[in-house]
Amino acid sequence: MKSLITGRNLSKSYGSKLALNNVNFEIQKGAPVALVGPNGAGKTTLFSLLCGYIAPSMGELEILGHKPGSAALFNKVSALPQDAQLDPRFNIDKQLSFYAKLQGMSTKQSHVEALRVLDLVGLSEIAKNRAGDLSHGMRKRVTIAQALIGSPQIVMLDEATAGLDPIHAREVRELVSQLSDQATFILSSHDLTELERLCSQVLHLDKGVLSEHQTKAVNTDKHFYTLMLSDVYQNVEQQLQALEGVSRVYMSQHKEYVIEYQPTGDPLDIALLQFCRQHNWQYRQLVNGHTLENQIFKQEKL
Amino acid sequence: MATPLTINIGRLTQIAGFELVRMFLTKRGLIALAAFALVWLVILRYPIGQAVGIISSPDFEQIARDISGSIGLSKLLDWPEAEFAMYWLIALYSFPVFSLFICSDQTVGDRERGTLRFLSLRSTRFEILFGRFLGQLAVLTCLVGITLIATLAVLGFRDPSLLAGGVGRAVSIFLILIVTFAPFVALMSLINTFASSSRLSIVLAILYFTAGGIIVGLLEWQIPALSTLDYLFPGVQIEQLAGQNLPLLSALAIPLVQTAVLLVVAQRVFARSSL
Repeated sequence: MKSLITGRNLSKSYGSKLALNNVNFEIQKGAPVALVGPNGAGKTTLFSLLCGYIAPSMGELEILGHKPGSAALFNKVSALPQDAQLDPRFNIDKQLSFYAKLQGMSTKQSHVEALRVLDLVGLSEIAKNRAGDLSHGMRKRVTIAQALIGSPQIVMLDEATAGLDPIHAREVRELVSQLSDQATFILSSHDLTELERLCSQVLHLDKGVLSEHQTKAVNTDKHFYTLMLSDVYQNVEQQLQALEGVSRVYMSQHKEYVIEYQPTGDPLDIALLQFCRQHNWQYRQLVNGHTLENQIFKQEKL
Repeated sequence: MATPLTINIGRLTQIAGFELVRMFLTKRGLIALAAFALVWLVILRYPIGQAVGIISSPDFEQIARDISGSIGLSKLLDWPEAEFAMYWLIALYSFPVFSLFICSDQTVGDRERGTLRFLSLRSTRFEILFGRFLGQLAVLTCLVGITLIATLAVLGFRDPSLLAGGVGRAVSIFLILIVTFAPFVALMSLINTFASSSRLSIVLAILYFTAGGIIVGLLEWQIPALSTLDYLFPGVQIEQLAGQNLPLLSALAIPLVQTAVLLVVAQRVFARSSL
């Protein structure tokens, strides 16, 4: 399969500070891709490179076979850059229509498109409001709407749900999920649970160095379960260790246990749930494999 | 980030047209327009409305010299449309300063706010820069056109028989003024590529003309051959142009070349800057 995005030996430095260090990656068409990492890890720098806002110090970056920022990518690549705002003096529909017209739509089509994308983010009623009159969360959703104008093949959302209340953050996640068969989304967020739900490929940046993780399927080969309990119970590790096939149990964080096991004839997940029931342990979640948070936390601690 | 110089006329027109919307359909733009209209109402009522008396006055030459520091304004006395002679002088000296202010936020505000990031995913940097330049020039063109029409009305009110000749005079003044003001707009396009606010753009433009003028003056004093450095400054020809003492070719060529050079430099800086 031909890659949508390819980065080779990509580095970016600001003066003496190396923000990205020899990063290599490929993104294929398909499920959303997550870009995670601590503050200052280089996520926004990588987003800015992908959008063509800045040039790499070294290395090559290609999107759909073109350099970022190339006119050939207009209408194919869209983005929500972090902290970018619409002009506060204009009506929302006027600005979105203007962007749609730049993407080649007629005046009439552009108005219809502006209302369509506003409707997607649940804001069609504020089309005539000025950007400056909206709340932070509404402004964020409008900027997400601008990224959905037309039919982009790649949509990059940098911290799309940051600053949104839980209900609207969930709506944005559902929107991404709905549209992910039409476009490949690249998402950055600090909410790892959110990314774990949406994405199968995770690009993890730390101190400018990139590594990859898988959130689904592949984890099952590693023979781990992560059990999250609702309450604190005595000797959980020792008691779980006694189960057949379990080779190691440790507490990854408060009320959360990672169970390493060797596959035997009986499925361990069923046995685990039965064990919880027998001991009257209330459990919250059983994850097949490591949680993304644990994978990343472990790596950053190394 | 350097990208190939791509121009799509449709996108260019959209970007330029949006500048007109920004000026004429936003609250801030309308307030600026109202201030402009008030100032020009006073100008039309007094200096232009009483142009015949002023220009026929023996003190006019002295007044004009005081205003512009120029000499050889006698050709203006030959214009039967005295209102246009007065308009010509006032517009030639006031619009460049005015244009530095109204064109001070071509890209800098959008860059600081991040709005340029939305635009740059839909149009090339050259289209943004040149489109904004054209848009601001279009705004100036509208304002010059409106003031010229008002002056023509004042002229017609005084002496309707001068209207026919006045229209021709207005058209030639209009064209020369727009070309003359273009490098001032282009200078602000350039300053916008590296300034961090529209206010700083204005300060830098003032410094360019004042401190830059002093430095160039000193250099020319030491090395007279460096007098060509005067051409670094938009409006270098205005002094001669005011008295109609500049050949038409020079009157058009100097600002057009300055505009082209300033836009090329602006494009090079803008293409390499981070958004």
